[in-house]
Amino acid sequence: MITCTALRWGAPGQPLTPALDLRLETGSLTGVIGANGTGKSSLLKVIAGLQKPLAGKVTVDTPRRGGLSFLPQQQHLDRQFPISLQELVAAGFWGTQLSAPQRSQRLQAVLEDWCLGGLEQRPLMALSGGELQRALLARMSLADAPVLLLDEPHAALDEDGQALCWKHIHAWHAAGRTLVVVCHDLAAVREHTPQVLQIKSSGCVLAPSKELIRAQPRMQVA
Amino acid sequence: MHFTAHLWLPFVDFIFMRRALIGGLVLACSTAPLGVFLILRRMSLIGDAVAHGILPGAALGFWFAGLSLPALTLGGLGAGLSMAGLAAWITRRTGLREDASLAAIYPISLAAGVLILGLAGKRLDLLHLLFGSALAVDDTTLTGMLWVSGFSLIAMTLIYKPLLLDTLDPLFLQTVSRLGPVAHGLFLTLVVLNLVIGFQAIGALMVVGLMMLPAIASRFWSRRLPVLIAVSAVLGCLSVWLGLLLSFYYSLPSGPAIVLVAGGGYLLSVVFGPVHGLLRRPPLLSSQ
Repeated sequence: MITCTALRWGAPGQPLTPALDLRLETGSLTGVIGANGTGKSSLLKVIAGLQKPLAGKVTVDTPRRGGLSFLPQQQHLDRQFPISLQELVAAGFWGTQLSAPQRSQRLQAVLEDWCLGGLEQRPLMALSGGELQRALLARMSLADAPVLLLDEPHAALDEDGQALCWKHIHAWHAAGRTLVVVCHDLAAVREHTPQVLQIKSSGCVLAPSKELIRAQPRMQVA
Repeated sequence: MHFTAHLWLPFVDFIFMRRALIGGLVLACSTAPLGVFLILRRMSLIGDAVAHGILPGAALGFWFAGLSLPALTLGGLGAGLSMAGLAAWITRRTGLREDASLAAIYPISLAAGVLILGLAGKRLDLLHLLFGSALAVDDTTLTGMLWVSGFSLIAMTLIYKPLLLDTLDPLFLQTVSRLGPVAHGLFLTLVVLNLVIGFQAIGALMVVGLMMLPAIASRFWSRRLPVLIAVSAVLGCLSVWLGLLLSFYYSLPSGPAIVLVAGGGYLLSVVFGPVHGLLRRPPLLSSQ
C-alpha cells in the first residue's frame, strides 16, 4: 500500500499541485496521466524515495530498498557505456540470493520473456531505443519487488513492444503486486488500468479510468 | 650485444632503474581502473584539479618538515581531497557547472603552492614537484607505492559492481542499495591517494597523464569494461617501460618521457584503434 498524506512535491519553492492525499491499495494497478511538466515523473521519484517531498509524507508498506522497483525514463542512461545488454539486465539480481546456475537460467527466461534472446552480447550503443527499454523492463522483472513504479514504460516501444509490456503489467498485477504506471496514451490507460490518477496543477483526481477518461476516438490515417 | 638486451639491461644493471620500473608498473596498474572510471563518470578533469590541489599541501608539508615522505604525502592528501571536495561542494550548493568549478580551483592551487614555496625560503625545485623524477624513487617511496597500489586494486575489486552501477544508473542503484555514495567517496579517495603517491615519483602533473592517457586510449580498443581496464593497464605499463628506457639512453627527464610515450600510444589508438578509430571502416557484418 502506498499512502500520500498532504504531499507536495516539485522544485523547491515551486510545488506542482495542491497537497495530495492518496491511498493506493496493495495489489492495485494505477495509471498516471497529466500534461507535460505537471509532475508525474517527480511524483514517482518521491514515492520511490529518490527525491524529497516539499511537504507532507509518503509511506510505502514495504522497505524502499529491495521492496520497490522504479523504472525511470531511459534518456538518463549513457548509451556509450561499455557493457553488454546481458550485464545491464543482470544488475536486477542485486540483493537476491540465487546460485549461479539458477541465475543464468532465470536470466535466460527473462530475456526470452522480453524478446531479447540473441542480443545478450550487444553493447548498449548498438541497441535501439526499444531494445534498451525492454532490457530495462527485463532488469525490473528480475528484482521481484512487490511495488513497481514505471515511468512511461511504453515510450520508445513499437506496437508489439507495447502489447508485450501491457501483457507483463497485467501478469504482475495478477501476481498481487502494486503498480503505478505513467503513460501518455489515454486510450491504453483507459483499456488497461482499472483506476487512474490525473495530475493537474489545479488538483489531482483518482477515479476509475472508464469514468475519468472518455472513450478515445481511434485515429485513422489515410 | 644483442639488440633486445638493451630493452632490459638497464633494469638489471642499475638499482635506481629497477626501482623506477617497479614503482611505475604498479602505479600504471592501479591507476588504470581509476582513469577508466573517471572517464565513464565524466570526471576526466578532476585528476588535473586534484594534481594542482596537491601542490599547496605538499609545499606546506615541505615548509614544516622538509623533504620527508610522510609530510609531503599527508600534506598532498589533505590538500588534494579538500580541493576536489571544495569544487564538488560549490557545484552542488550553487549550481556552478562542474568544469567551471574545477577550472577555478587549478590556478588558485597552483598560485598558492608557488607562493608557499616562495615563503618557505628554502629552495624546493618547483619543477621537481610538477614533473618529478622517476629515477629518484628511493626504497621508502617504492614501499609506499606498492602499498597504495595494492590497496587500490583490492578496494577497486570490492567496489567494482556498486561503482559500475552508480556510474551507469545511479537512480537504479539507489533503489536497491545504499552503497552508491560510499563507492563514490572511496573511489575519489583512491584517485587522490594514487596521484599523491605518484607525484613524488613522476611529478604531480605527469601522474595525471599516466592515469588518463592510457584510459582514454583504451576506449579505441574495446567496448567491454574489463577489457578497457586491462588495455589501459597494459598501455600504462608499456609507457613506463619504454619511457624509462628513452630517458636512460637519451638522458631525458623520466616523467615527461613516460607521459609522451603514453601520448604516442593515445595518438596511435586514435588512428588505428578498431573501435571508432580514424582508419576503421565500420564492418558490414558484426562478428557477434
